[in-house]
Amino acid sequence: MRYLLSSVLLFAVFSCSPKILKGLEEQPSEISQITNPYFADTAQDYVYKAKIDVYGKYFGGILIIKKVNDTSHRVVFTTEFGSKLFDFLYEGNTFTKKFIVPDLDRNIIVNTLQKDFKILITEKVDVQSEYISEIPEILYKTEFGNRYNYYGFSDEKKLVVILNASKSKEKIIFTFQRTNNEVIKKLRIQHLNIKLNIDLEYLNK
Amino acid sequence: MYKLIIILLLGCFSTQVMAQERVMTASEISAFKTAVIETSRASKTIKSDFIQYKHLDFLDNDIETIGKLQFKAPGFVKWEYTKPYVYSVIFREDKLLINDGGTKNAIDIGSSKMFKKLNDLIVKSVKGDMFDDNDFTVTYFITDKANKAVFVPKDKKLTEYIASFELLFDKKEASVTEVKMIEPSQDYTQIIFKNRLVNTTINDAVFTQ
Repeated sequence: MRYLLSSVLLFAVFSCSPKILKGLEEQPSEISQITNPYFADTAQDYVYKAKIDVYGKYFGGILIIKKVNDTSHRVVFTTEFGSKLFDFLYEGNTFTKKFIVPDLDRNIIVNTLQKDFKILITEKVDVQSEYISEIPEILYKTEFGNRYNYYGFSDEKKLVVILNASKSKEKIIFTFQRTNNEVIKKLRIQHLNIKLNIDLEYLNK
Repeated sequence: MYKLIIILLLGCFSTQVMAQERVMTASEISAFKTAVIETSRASKTIKSDFIQYKHLDFLDNDIETIGKLQFKAPGFVKWEYTKPYVYSVIFREDKLLINDGGTKNAIDIGSSKMFKKLNDLIVKSVKGDMFDDNDFTVTYFITDKANKAVFVPKDKKLTEYIASFELLFDKKEASVTEVKMIEPSQDYTQIIFKNRLVNTTINDAVFTQ
């Protein structure tokens, strides 16, 4: 219940462009690596109903994430009718567009989506520094290309948020609402520098 | 061991028999088309439940979605998913009315040739009456359980999305029982219709948002 409350609060707090990286208090880190457990089970098909709002234009679809082996993930987006819109393959650090409809095949779209999903599926990350925060309780700073990802954990040591940021500004916020197992029930990817929000809801059978 | 091999062989043999199909003769094709067109013309309204399976080769399980279809002549279609999510699309004249779990959206398809084609295709495939479509090469088969028409797009652009799609028809009723859309990667979407009701009253209000 407490967890539920804090994740609902997280959703509410992060929905309105936060500045939670301001005035953080650094503390010595006891761990060198953190784990994102959410898309890490090869036995699990992660299937979500997606709602995408881009510059006020809205469209929906089905997002499918699958860890196909120890080092690879597939990320596929289809319409509700089942037609594929894109099919991405991540093998270690190699990214391949297996398929994309021409309307979406633009550098800015592909790069944005590619990066969003890369952050989502990355499992193990080296910690640079650790900060005490309020919600979430602890933030771990990690490197991501020329930016940083801050992984926020609740007091129950559950990953509840990832903040992608430049040196000075927050750029993307990933908020997670978990189910009882290690499957995300609700997920929001909110971009702060472009008007793009992706809401995902897990499809129970 | 010997018995096991026999069982395996028999198993293979029987699945082959199950999947047996042959190409229709010219006279069978003409009789089949006539029957389908007749059924289609006589169907002023159609109501049907369906199950949709999305098959992706890397998934452990196909994605299963349940829904309802309503059609009213000349060309109103409401395609509705009810489980595990609620989503509907109404094809009405030059408009596509989408309701995605309460978020409503209207798309004007009047100006888009591609959407008009899609609309046309959906209406025709619901009715089964699309054999004269110039955009596809059609081949006809008879299987144990159904008649089958396989449509291969002629347009190169379309072949990037669809390798082929197959319509299965009930042998007696000459109505569509299954649609399968196969992608170039061989992943596919399969829709199986159930509880089909023809010529019941459907209020026009169904096709509004």
